[in-house]
Amino acid sequence: MTALPDRSRGVIALREESCTSCMVCARECPDWCIYIDSHKETEPATGEGARPKTRHVLDRFAIDYALCMYCGICIEVCPWDALFWSPEYDHAAGDVLGLTHERETLVTWMRSVPSVD
Amino acid sequence: MTLDDFAATRDVPSDDWYEAASELKGSGHDFFDWLSAYDDSDAGVAVVARIWSVRDRHGAMLRTRVAREGGLLPTLTTLWEGAAWHERETAEMFGIGFTGHPDPRPLLLPDGFDGHPLRKEFVLASRVAKEWPGAKEPGESVAGRKRPPGVPPAGTWGS
Repeated sequence: MTALPDRSRGVIALREESCTSCMVCARECPDWCIYIDSHKETEPATGEGARPKTRHVLDRFAIDYALCMYCGICIEVCPWDALFWSPEYDHAAGDVLGLTHERETLVTWMRSVPSVD
Repeated sequence: MTLDDFAATRDVPSDDWYEAASELKGSGHDFFDWLSAYDDSDAGVAVVARIWSVRDRHGAMLRTRVAREGGLLPTLTTLWEGAAWHERETAEMFGIGFTGHPDPRPLLLPDGFDGHPLRKEFVLASRVAKEWPGAKEPGESVAGRKRPPGVPPAGTWGS
């Protein structure tokens, strides 16, 4: 890859441990190209007087780059800082289906996201 | 050059539309950049044209408002032939007309298309044809009843 400023806007990366499946990005996306599946899990109460906790577990997070127009609204609206711009841009595919990046692919782009510290 | 030089917008009554454009051309604004419109609700349809001076590297915006129903403006094609496509598109998208246009056919919409897609009351039917990914609630994998923004309840529109 040629030298680019490290905050260039190439592809969108997912920091999956920050995602709470809140759906805000999928709802704000003007292209409707973010697909999220999740389910609820209940953690048993810990200690006396405590209640069981419900949390959302992410099952699927995918961005269809055949539709995405790289506007960055999803990154902007994410309340949890789970989406980032990565400077990597060479993700062309020979098949249009290959442009749908599932979670496993989206998390790999985090490797080139500049540190926020 | 300041931002104001680029953004300077002149508002004119629709009766003065052609004359104002003609004056701009006379003052060296020789390049017709674009013409479009926006739905300004009760204030009518606002039509905007941007004219550029190649010599002075200076742009001017011209704006006017016409009625939502039956709004008419004189064509600018006699000043700049290139305005023809812009006016055809603006006419079909907003439901207004340009008198004296040499070829007032729709530009992009197919024959018999019903409605004016860039007016606020136009429902985006394509947003109903595809399932909205945002219809799911957090913690769910099956779409709920949530409707996408801009789509009214079923049964209140369409046929």
